[in-house]
Amino acid sequence: MARLGVTLVSAVIGLMAGAASASDDAVVRAMRLYERHHYEDAARALQADLPALNPTSRAAAYLTLGMIYLGNAELHRGFHEAGVTVQLDYLKKLVAVRGAGGSRFVNLYLGKTLLENGNVGEATKYLERFTAQRGLEPRYKAIAGASLGLSHFLGKNAQAARAQWATVDTADPEAQMALAAVYSQAGLKDRDPVGMGDAALKKAGSSPSSRMLENLLTVYARAGLTDKSLELVKLADLKAASYTEALGETKTISFYDVAALGDLAAMYRQASVRYLEKAAADAQIKPTADYYLGAAYAEAGDVELSLRATGAFLSVANAPLPQRNRARVRLATAQYLQGRRGEAMAVWEALAQGQPAEPGLLAEILLGCARAKADCASIEPWATRAAEAGEGRSTRSLNIALGRLYLRRGDYGRAVACLEAGRDKSNKNRIESNDPVMLVNLAAAYYRGRQFSESLEIYFEMSKHFPVVRRIQEAMQGMYAMEHKSAGDVKIF
Amino acid sequence: MNKRIVVVLSILAVVVGTPPVSPAGPKNDGRPDGGTLGYGEYGRPSTLDPITSNEMVSLRITELVFNGLVGIDEKQEIVPELAERWEASKDSRIYTFFLRKDVMWHPKEGEDAKPFTADDVVFTYKIMMHPKTTTPLKVRYEFIESVEKLSDYGVQFTLKRPILNALAKFSFKVIPKHGPSHPLYLTREDPFVRQPIGTGPFVVKTITTDREIVLVANENYFKGRPHVNRFISKPFADQNIMTQALMFNAIDMVVLVNPRDIPELQGDKRFVLQPYNALSYAFFGYNLRSPLLADKRVRQAFTYAVNRQEVLDSFFNGQGTLVSGPFAPGSWAYNLDVRPLPFDPQKAVELLRQAGFAPGPDGTLQKDGKKLTLSLKVPIEKESEAVKRVVLAFQNYLKNIGVAIKVEFKEWQAWKESVFQEHDFDIIFASWVFDDSADISSLFHSAEIGAWKNNFGGYSNPEVDGLIVESKLTLDHEKRRTINRKLHTILAEEAPYTFLWTLTNYSGYHKKLRRVAIHPYKFFSFADEWFIPAADQK
Repeated sequence: MARLGVTLVSAVIGLMAGAASASDDAVVRAMRLYERHHYEDAARALQADLPALNPTSRAAAYLTLGMIYLGNAELHRGFHEAGVTVQLDYLKKLVAVRGAGGSRFVNLYLGKTLLENGNVGEATKYLERFTAQRGLEPRYKAIAGASLGLSHFLGKNAQAARAQWATVDTADPEAQMALAAVYSQAGLKDRDPVGMGDAALKKAGSSPSSRMLENLLTVYARAGLTDKSLELVKLADLKAASYTEALGETKTISFYDVAALGDLAAMYRQASVRYLEKAAADAQIKPTADYYLGAAYAEAGDVELSLRATGAFLSVANAPLPQRNRARVRLATAQYLQGRRGEAMAVWEALAQGQPAEPGLLAEILLGCARAKADCASIEPWATRAAEAGEGRSTRSLNIALGRLYLRRGDYGRAVACLEAGRDKSNKNRIESNDPVMLVNLAAAYYRGRQFSESLEIYFEMSKHFPVVRRIQEAMQGMYAMEHKSAGDVKIF
Repeated sequence: MNKRIVVVLSILAVVVGTPPVSPAGPKNDGRPDGGTLGYGEYGRPSTLDPITSNEMVSLRITELVFNGLVGIDEKQEIVPELAERWEASKDSRIYTFFLRKDVMWHPKEGEDAKPFTADDVVFTYKIMMHPKTTTPLKVRYEFIESVEKLSDYGVQFTLKRPILNALAKFSFKVIPKHGPSHPLYLTREDPFVRQPIGTGPFVVKTITTDREIVLVANENYFKGRPHVNRFISKPFADQNIMTQALMFNAIDMVVLVNPRDIPELQGDKRFVLQPYNALSYAFFGYNLRSPLLADKRVRQAFTYAVNRQEVLDSFFNGQGTLVSGPFAPGSWAYNLDVRPLPFDPQKAVELLRQAGFAPGPDGTLQKDGKKLTLSLKVPIEKESEAVKRVVLAFQNYLKNIGVAIKVEFKEWQAWKESVFQEHDFDIIFASWVFDDSADISSLFHSAEIGAWKNNFGGYSNPEVDGLIVESKLTLDHEKRRTINRKLHTILAEEAPYTFLWTLTNYSGYHKKLRRVAIHPYKFFSFADEWFIPAADQK
């Protein structure tokens, strides 16, 4: 979508030729960074330039920011899915280690990760196991107690939840913040999680722990406080462990909370919608903003608003055909999700059979189909034929879409083959040359196929731009250490 | 004798004396046999056996020619090879292997093929551990206390202690008792190392005057005859020529594509580019026996003096990543908190000053009247354009801080003798390639200093020795991981090497080759399953 976005935004800037000034350079610079998938740098640079822009340029800047945050939201959703999967695998292995070398804290983090994955029953078991341990520091007992309360709450036992939360001593700012976070996750606005979080932060003084900041991010993100969330992220060390347990002189285990990955995705989604809505207030930019708003609402799971925005884009008479067709695919996806399945499938199939085959459009259809969890059986053969017939760059997006489809189906061998076909091998792991969401998918396919080092290499490169992936890297390293089978060989080359 | 062993022996008693069954024929999997696969290699290996060799080119050949008691499949599972099954005692100290009875050794010239038996397994272990055997493998198998033949098709290993991943260690390649000319040990002078016989899918047929190694299908391979008729290893000194040979159909496969050629191959639909993540890195290794290099500040200064990112970008199109220590970034052992040292020539100069060096009359640094002039030895097989540029860049970077480097290219075998046997060098440029274990013990443990051992630089640090030993003794994966992180930190600080980069690893091959699965380290482990459709066979 980046390339398409640049085209559209360039057109928008062209429309504003009369207002062209140095301030437009800020948008162009940010767009270039966006195109290279340097989302953080792009957003921060443009945010800094925003106050100086004239009103006309500001609308283009809002559009650009909306696109940047949308890209970052999709990527962090990918990180979240990968993080939950790998952390669960790793923590389940760790929890099986009992006795002297066994970790006390694994029960807490496994419980929290299971909660994040929606396995409430199992989460409760591990959180209870953690809190039942003797000799725990009150702080960690309180933090676990907050999560255990959430577990009860999500398990429809509000009474047990309230009782559990009542035991948490909020005199400790860490515990107070943890409680604020779980109130947010439970949607209990009446408990004033934002007020609690702010108070806890104040109490913590000048150097709050990264654990506190992550919990505060949960609070802000769930309250829709986008600006505060974005500011907070600037302060946080996203690669820091939530807790490091020392088990003797030569054994330490670092634990991470994967909820932050989901919170970041939510924060970027909100920021995306917010800036795209601002951009849509400008009449000239509205059609382009609507196009992206359709995608941003879909990313946020709001089918109705996605339909409305996409419909608004399609109602513009002179919208370019490629974007128009993609919008029709998106509209069909939303319709499918609303239960209008036959109607949606007919649109997908009609567009998929267009001649000559358009790989980019076929990719969009496959992704829409997969997003709606629809049966893509009728479309897949056309897509496969088009991918095989095409060459090089033109079929890259289609191969990636096929790879994602196979990944969802659990056919990891084919997923790797297709995603590799869509990868720029000259810059194997570089996000500047490869869609980072594709790289996350490829890393997932390699991980599932137990090719850990391929997966780790992808994250190693990605960590230079997104330090938050440390929570995936550490767990994956742990899995690799436990799962590999080799003799201990080394050779000179 | 415990009950289990009695049962085992009873079973084996029935087996003893049973003649080998008929060797396997074709695979009968519906895929065609035939065709020749020529692959491009980085020079010819000095030895072709699995014991004396310590280089990747040999490893790939031995993978085609030999088998282990067990193998490791694509999903990291241990699978039977020469042993059809095994048992481990409850305390994980005794491993009993029940061998296949249908395995024959490749025939020696003018002789009939002989059956593979437990004698060969015992022989391999003993010859590997013999003090006179030239091998880097001893350190890997020091955990074995004893080996005992139970019958012709039963063999038992007793370990000194249980270890992590023990079964995988028995993937070592077995050689025939009737192979080497000396019954007790194996050296690089033994004819066996150049004309080996194994049990594997391919037989070493000839070595041509062009130094090509021709291997032919083993018709009696116990897993079924491999599909491809012939494998030919073709040596190339220059990576650029190798890719051109592939493009012009002179070869069918390149084991490692020159990073600069990836775009060209990627755009050509005749070829497949397949990544395989060998855990590897390039380095400048220092001889710590040299008084000039004994001070770690000097070695650290050299690292600060070289703009490694610039070198990587300029000569390898940026296709790789800088490393900060003794593990590859794709490894489970890499310490993510240790960052590569930055390019900082001022810091380099300051460190050298602290180490007692001052500029002499000609601008070269000196200490106690001795100039900081060092030799850099590079194997001639590495004399590709890119490598030449790397070493010349290194020379230039060090010249900028007052260090004189004399670059010397040497023939591969001569280079190895200088480095591993005579230790006659100051600095070398080379790469290590690791399997998944990321085991650095043979590289940095002080017991591994000596002729033909991997600690060529003579690095010795009691703390590192202690950690390596502790890592080997532990049965706890997380503890081992923590120890490796510590080792990474210490070795990054101590700088026995200037750790450089890990490069992008792609194999390139013609699309006519089918069912190609590549082992990330050993490469050809699954090559007996590869095939060429009849229409594409030469």
